[in-house]
Amino acid sequence: MARDKRSLRTSDLASRISKAKGKRGAVRFADKVRRNEMSGVGRAYRLATEFIAAIIVGAFLGWGIDSLLGTMPFGLITLLLIGFAAGVVNVVRAARDINAAAPIPDQTGPMADDDEDD
Amino acid sequence: MAKDVIKNPIDPIYQFEITNYYTFGEIGGDGGAGTGIEFAFTNSALFMVLTVGLIASFLILSTRGRGLVPGRMQLLSEITYEFVANMVRTNAGTEGMKFFPFVFSLFMFILVANMFGMFPYFFTVTSQIVITAALALLVFGVVVVYGFYRNGLKFLGLFVPKGIHWVILLLVTPIEIISFLSRPLSLSLRLFGNMLAGHIVIKVFGGMTVALLSAGFWAPVAILPFVMIIAMTGLEFLVSALQAFVFAVLTCIYINDAIHPSH
Repeated sequence: MARDKRSLRTSDLASRISKAKGKRGAVRFADKVRRNEMSGVGRAYRLATEFIAAIIVGAFLGWGIDSLLGTMPFGLITLLLIGFAAGVVNVVRAARDINAAAPIPDQTGPMADDDEDD
Repeated sequence: MAKDVIKNPIDPIYQFEITNYYTFGEIGGDGGAGTGIEFAFTNSALFMVLTVGLIASFLILSTRGRGLVPGRMQLLSEITYEFVANMVRTNAGTEGMKFFPFVFSLFMFILVANMFGMFPYFFTVTSQIVITAALALLVFGVVVVYGFYRNGLKFLGLFVPKGIHWVILLLVTPIEIISFLSRPLSLSLRLFGNMLAGHIVIKVFGGMTVALLSAGFWAPVAILPFVMIIAMTGLEFLVSALQAFVFAVLTCIYINDAIHPSH
């Protein structure tokens, strides 16, 4: 009987803990961190690296194809251009993720309007 | 090489210098000294070992009690678990929880390595592109291997958006492929760039403070860069935590792509 009572109390505690955890603590902290990241430099850095990385990868792929096939400037030129396009795609996706994770903060002022057209 | 110039502690790059503590030997090369790849226990390796050691001992010691009502340290490790678990669940779904140990290890390693870097005289492991590139390539490898393992050739559907005319598809597919290949690069560059830039800026202001202090009449001006050091240190703590978080979140998003390859 005593044991029954104790296990009952334990499961009650477990359910209360899980209820309290629901949407608090870690989740809210994560939201806070995410909103912080998207202010200013963090946002700029994210977009910049997404853009540049695609261009570099495109250029390297083009150069590799060229040195394999001996078609020197053409692969490089084509894939560099495609890399630019991929960079733009990356930036648009990253911006969409940023906006989805955190609605536009008020502190950025009038510039914030630019993000809305996707 | 002017060795004494490089060894100058005021030089902002000096903090990133690799020093060998113990050299194991060389692999490859033509047998002559200095031609192969040198294997050595460096200060970078030392701080990686310290990072892993700290994480492991913290988690093992703090959860040893296994109290139903957690103590202070146990609560701390439970919070980190919950934090990463929530992150994985929201970004990669419940199926992504298979990769929880992977994401958790990555997050903790980067976080603690970044934080170690904030101590004066400590080496910042994540300011080396080799380390961040290795981590990013690990993520990339996991995504590619698991993507093909789970979806087979359907994983390639990641590069072929649905409902698009085949003429445009000829243009879109290379773009998607390059966009996919650029992920490890942007992942590693972001972490590396943030840590490198922040530490250099702090060191530059430090150098300015020292130089101004020895400038006689202008010495009181040294307070200005010193204030900047304090501000930048605060910012760097934030950046250290955020970059670990961003790396882990993007890992989750990429793993989600491996699980559900259709856009």
